Amino acid sequence: MSQMMLNLSAGPQTRDKWTTQFIMIMVVVALLPATIVGIAVNGVYAGLIVLSSVLTAFLTEFLYDKITGRPDTWKDGSAVVTGLLLALSLSPSTPLYAPILGSIFAILVVKCAFGGLGKNFINPALAARCFLLLSFGSSMTIFKVDGVAMATPLAELSAGRAVNVTDMFLGTGGGVIGASILALLVGGLVLWVMDIIHGQIWISIIVAFTLFMGLFGGQGFDPAYLAAQLCGGGVIMGAFFMATDYTTSPVSRLGQTVYGVMIGVLGALFRVFGNAADSFSYSIIIANLFTPLIETYIIPKPYAYRKSALDKMAGKEKVPFTKKIPKPVFVLAAITLLAGLALSGVFSMTEDTIAEQKRAENAASYQAVLPEAANFKFSSDIDKMIEQMAADVYGGGSFGKAHINAAAMGVDASGNPVGYVVSATSGDGMEGNVTLTVGLDMDGKILGIAFTELNETPGLGMKADEPAFKDQFTGKAEQQLKVVKGGASASNEIDSISGATITSRAVVNAVNAGLDFFHNVLKGGTWFE
Amino acid sequence: MKSTFRGGVHPRERKELSEGAALRVFDAKGEMVFPLAQHIGKPAKPVVKRGDAVLVGQLIAEADGFVSANIICSCSGKVKAVEKRRTISGAMLESIVIENDGLYNKKEGMGEKVEEPDLSKEGILAKVKEAGIVGLGGAGFPTAVKLAPRDAAAIKYVIANGAECEPYLTCNDQLMQKYAPEIVEGLEITLKLFPNAVGVIAIERNKPKAIEAMKKAAEGKEKIQVLDLPTKYPQGGERSLIQVVAEVDFPTSKLPADAGCIVDNVGTLYAVQRAVMYNEPLFSHVMTVSGDAVKNPANLIVRDGTSFREIMEECGGLKDGLALKKAICGGPMMGLTLSSLDIPIHKTTNGLLLWAEDPLEKAEIQMTACLHCGRCTTVCPQGLMPQMMAEAAEHGDMERYETKLYGLDCIACGSCTYICPAKRPLTQTFKQVKAEILAAKRAAAAGGKK
Repeated sequence: MSQMMLNLSAGPQTRDKWTTQFIMIMVVVALLPATIVGIAVNGVYAGLIVLSSVLTAFLTEFLYDKITGRPDTWKDGSAVVTGLLLALSLSPSTPLYAPILGSIFAILVVKCAFGGLGKNFINPALAARCFLLLSFGSSMTIFKVDGVAMATPLAELSAGRAVNVTDMFLGTGGGVIGASILALLVGGLVLWVMDIIHGQIWISIIVAFTLFMGLFGGQGFDPAYLAAQLCGGGVIMGAFFMATDYTTSPVSRLGQTVYGVMIGVLGALFRVFGNAADSFSYSIIIANLFTPLIETYIIPKPYAYRKSALDKMAGKEKVPFTKKIPKPVFVLAAITLLAGLALSGVFSMTEDTIAEQKRAENAASYQAVLPEAANFKFSSDIDKMIEQMAADVYGGGSFGKAHINAAAMGVDASGNPVGYVVSATSGDGMEGNVTLTVGLDMDGKILGIAFTELNETPGLGMKADEPAFKDQFTGKAEQQLKVVKGGASASNEIDSISGATITSRAVVNAVNAGLDFFHNVLKGGTWFE
Repeated sequence: MKSTFRGGVHPRERKELSEGAALRVFDAKGEMVFPLAQHIGKPAKPVVKRGDAVLVGQLIAEADGFVSANIICSCSGKVKAVEKRRTISGAMLESIVIENDGLYNKKEGMGEKVEEPDLSKEGILAKVKEAGIVGLGGAGFPTAVKLAPRDAAAIKYVIANGAECEPYLTCNDQLMQKYAPEIVEGLEITLKLFPNAVGVIAIERNKPKAIEAMKKAAEGKEKIQVLDLPTKYPQGGERSLIQVVAEVDFPTSKLPADAGCIVDNVGTLYAVQRAVMYNEPLFSHVMTVSGDAVKNPANLIVRDGTSFREIMEECGGLKDGLALKKAICGGPMMGLTLSSLDIPIHKTTNGLLLWAEDPLEKAEIQMTACLHCGRCTTVCPQGLMPQMMAEAAEHGDMERYETKLYGLDCIACGSCTYICPAKRPLTQTFKQVKAEILAAKRAAAAGGKK
């Protein structure tokens, strides 16, 4: 009998059916409902974004493998997952170069440059999303409905307006391509049941986020408010699909809980105290960066070395349940509390500095809109009144989310009054606040406006600061102004900036708030005497 | 008692291939080879030389030192040589080679019912030692040593391990069906050594006939109960069983006896019964022959020293048109691959699997970088962090491996490697690292002595 050549190998000699590729395919399948709803709601162009993102990601990894002669890692399918996740987190009106550039960045820079699958230190799709946001600014986050740009539900929510949670839940209310919370939940829960993603991560994110929003969001545990917060801004997508990325999250169950709580708390913190619409992405990326640290210090002990097992071996009595709450729970609670306090401390400290800086900026704008004045006089009564009004929207909503920040009287060299300046903010801008100073003569005729805070879309909303728009206000002697699209004819009309209706409205709202304050409070008063 | 241990995996069982095959005796024709090291501990010392005539049941090598075991001849014939032969591990080891005359002449008095068996503690232990009995679950630890712990009164449970959690293997299932009363008697004999212990016969639920037979045999025995367990690998690991029965976890630096348990394979207990009641030493045991490539899967009672090739031929050889790609001694999870079939079986060999397909060839293609998915940490029955251990090993961070991750507590059950979707060689790495760390420690200790 001829000598047989037998395969030799160290055991075990059999393997489970699941492969890396299978897991990646399952994640893609779980993302399909959200993809389909996204394309159905947003149209073929959204499909084109998905396609170009996925194809680019896949091709990038393929070419990288071929050019560098590395093993064929494109076969594992992880690039497809990255491309799909990126596409779903983009606006359906994003220019096509964005998903293409983003996918290349995600695969080439974030993944391959750090050693490929399993080696990247932050989530590639999220990193690419932030890369696009930083590089192309708000053209990434313009959400158009029927061709008209509109504020995101979250911006509406922070502006104190009601939002349609049902629309958000179903994904029919605008937002990114993968905005359908229902579809994301279906996919995410399937992955959870299959034990592909871990409950320790998504549950702790959602619990921590909800608790924090309820405690510090300013609206208490109002279910509608919390539901809207959970449905907006990528919380669900982040909790189920981004934060659960294996490579950038801890492996131990306890580590995953710490990581999840961190994302939930940071995400809520950024949302309550910060301004960026994409705060949730950043909170996940920050937690990604903490993963190696968590992995270094949080290592669960083998069963035999846990205290209960050691006690049992030593023949000790069982510890009553009340004393059994593991120490990490207390430590974790303490850390969360301290971090929260420290952050709010930093916030309130910097708040004063920010206010001072603003005052200095404002002084320059006063001079700009009321050049005749040699000096500006403030009134402590007016200051107090403004401070008291600060908590509420000025004018009960007639000027949108408007606030009066300051008012002063301009006087000439010999001390005679020459006019008033009013600083007003509208929270209805495309990217948040628009703050401006209105200069008025003694009768209420506008002498000019100057912006002290304007972070609108470059090339669109930012045009508000150009003479073509800004100078329209000069010389108006009206009680109130209004925005019209194209061809202002009446004297109380202001031409909208083309393509930036939201910004135009915000500017006029702020000016109107200033006018209102002048006519109803300042005019004829003797505040400044 | 708990319902099951923590962790574990569910590999495809494939027991249907051989579970219907009733036990039958196979008397080999060819030469018989007895390696002197087929148990844990020191190799035995030969007591025969070339040309000596031997009989079935005759001592041919005796235990050398406390942890060692006698080796008993399984056939009659002449000693052909005492020389180095290839063994299961692949190493060439000193072995006694017997020219088998095929007559199977027995040593006088062997295998006959003992009229008045000595059931004193000393009597039982002496018989077990003389019979060369070792743990037949696979490890091969000398049973006489295991049954004499420092404090016999502290033992609370004697666990008869009939879990047989390895895929493919069905020989213990058949043994329990056919010899239930004998196994129960073996357990009763063992319980005589431990005044405060009860006997627990643990069997996985995929063996309903064995459970039924054992329950029947144990009926009315106050100190013995039959425990059916969920089918999950490694349910038959002694630590898994102790986790279930005594609800104790203990480090690998401790023995089951420290946790108040003695775990014996049902085959071992059967051997104890044969030794004490029939004066029959251990020279044969049960074994499953299975796999996709073998013509007639079988459960055999085989004689020690038989070659794997003869066993394969006894089972009809390979299926027509199939070429053998892999031969495994034992089950697919913890078994060893054989470089050739011309190797003798050990006392502890409980399976021969013949495969025409090697699933690891496919797994090699499917291998990717570690995903950090954590599936390995979920299945580890010891509660270790295999993913972190592999990373520490890769970085050469032995300090973290040993003290932070308790890497030396790996029992090499292979669950992590089995479950890994990236097909990483985890267990294999851990075995190697453990060997390296222990070697370094021994070297340091030896250096310290100088």
